[in-house]
Amino acid sequence: MLEVRTLTAGYGLAEVLGDVSLSVRAGEVVALLGANNAGKTTFINSLSRLVSIFSGSVVFDGQDITAAKPDDVVGLGIVQVPEGRLVFPKMSVRENLLLGGSHPRVRRDRLAQMENAFGLFPILKERAQQLAGTLSGGEQQMLAIARGLMAKPRLLMLDEPSLGLSPRFVQYVFDAIDRLRSMGLTILLVEQNLTMALRYADRCYVMERGRVVVEGDPNAVRDDPRTRTAYLGL
Amino acid sequence: MVQGMLIGSTYGLLALGMGLIFGVMGIVSFAQGDLVSLGMFLCLALYAGFGLDPYVSVFVTVPLLMISGGAIYWFLIRPIAGQHLLMVVQLTLGLSFVIQNGLLMTFGGQAQRVPSVVDSDLLIVRDVVIQMPHVIAAAVSFGLALGLYAMLGWTDAGRAIRAVSQNSHAAYLMGIKVARVRLVTFAIGCGLVAIAASLLAPGAVMVPAQGFRYTVIILLTMVLGGMTNFVSIMCGGIVIAMSEAVGAVYFADTFGLLLPYLVFVLVMIIRPQGLTWRTT
Repeated sequence: MLEVRTLTAGYGLAEVLGDVSLSVRAGEVVALLGANNAGKTTFINSLSRLVSIFSGSVVFDGQDITAAKPDDVVGLGIVQVPEGRLVFPKMSVRENLLLGGSHPRVRRDRLAQMENAFGLFPILKERAQQLAGTLSGGEQQMLAIARGLMAKPRLLMLDEPSLGLSPRFVQYVFDAIDRLRSMGLTILLVEQNLTMALRYADRCYVMERGRVVVEGDPNAVRDDPRTRTAYLGL
Repeated sequence: MVQGMLIGSTYGLLALGMGLIFGVMGIVSFAQGDLVSLGMFLCLALYAGFGLDPYVSVFVTVPLLMISGGAIYWFLIRPIAGQHLLMVVQLTLGLSFVIQNGLLMTFGGQAQRVPSVVDSDLLIVRDVVIQMPHVIAAAVSFGLALGLYAMLGWTDAGRAIRAVSQNSHAAYLMGIKVARVRLVTFAIGCGLVAIAASLLAPGAVMVPAQGFRYTVIILLTMVLGGMTNFVSIMCGGIVIAMSEAVGAVYFADTFGLLLPYLVFVLVMIIRPQGLTWRTT
């Protein structure tokens, strides 16, 4: 579904990613792992076209989207739920969801889509009129995921969905990921929480200093000594 | 006093436009007052050339200023936005001089005024005498402020504007065309300027150098209103204009220009966050 070949990207002149190749097949949950500053967020931001791509190519469903604009990417169904959730704090839960469905491709059925999101996260329905900034961290994460779902993603990219959450909410978020997978959604998951990611992913990539150093199925990745090196920086 | 209240609503409207631009783009335009001045002189030109009343020529000046404002944003401000804040300040200050001296070259330095059909009409309620243009200014300003509030609150375009102002990074991820939202916001700000100019023009004495005074008034109002809070910006406009009027009537003309600053300093000492009663 997604095929990234030898992608080099970065900010200004600084190259953060070097020759990253990665693929995601339809229906898979792929985890992108690595320590802080490994370049994981830069990678998915370059897919969302918020970071400039220097060389390499991104192909989605056979279509080259290397030169697409941020809103085109959302239009194709590549939707990112950003690190730190980034909900719109001074808007209600409902308005946040409406904004999630603001791309012309999905605008027409966004009310139906909102009901789906409420079905997945009932607590959001109770809080529909509440300002997003007043929700708890876990609730904000649910809102961020629901807001992403409003854009009817075909590939959902979750950046650190468990960051800063209590263990109970971490479990809740991963359960939600599991439910989304069973609904047939393809997911690219960026995580620092190695244990959880390895448990839920079909395949994993481990990044270190802007490069992919290990890839394979979770068990192989867990046992690979390079994974440990990438995490501990040894 | 009453006149101050009425004029104040127009100041409030101008500051709303500026506050909107500040919220969405994080820039403060020091040319805004000169755009007001430009709008007023355009009214004068349209009156002199075609005999158009300011309330009619507004239909010409609004699109004109919106388009030129949009062009200013797209070709001048956008390329340097994101660099140092002072760059934008420099640029808009430069723009202010360009407009001011352009007006000076075209219209000369002597004071002029645009007549309007209503400018000598008076509204007399017991012992309060109000000039008609001020009443119209207040009504239109409040109407537009309400309209703007409704637009921001309940339409997709308004939500997109607020989304960009609250978190532009997340707005990109929603598939919102952020650059276009900024362009439209800047153009709306300039359209409000054109409307305000037509409201202020009838009967007012104008000179090319007045732009800076308007810039300062807009800035005072905006800061007094806590930058982006809707209601308190409108209140801020009224406070500024009333102190201006009170100073001019009860003391002296020059003191009228001074009093708003004194009030401003007082308010800032007592409530540094502006007139807002809640920090949103």
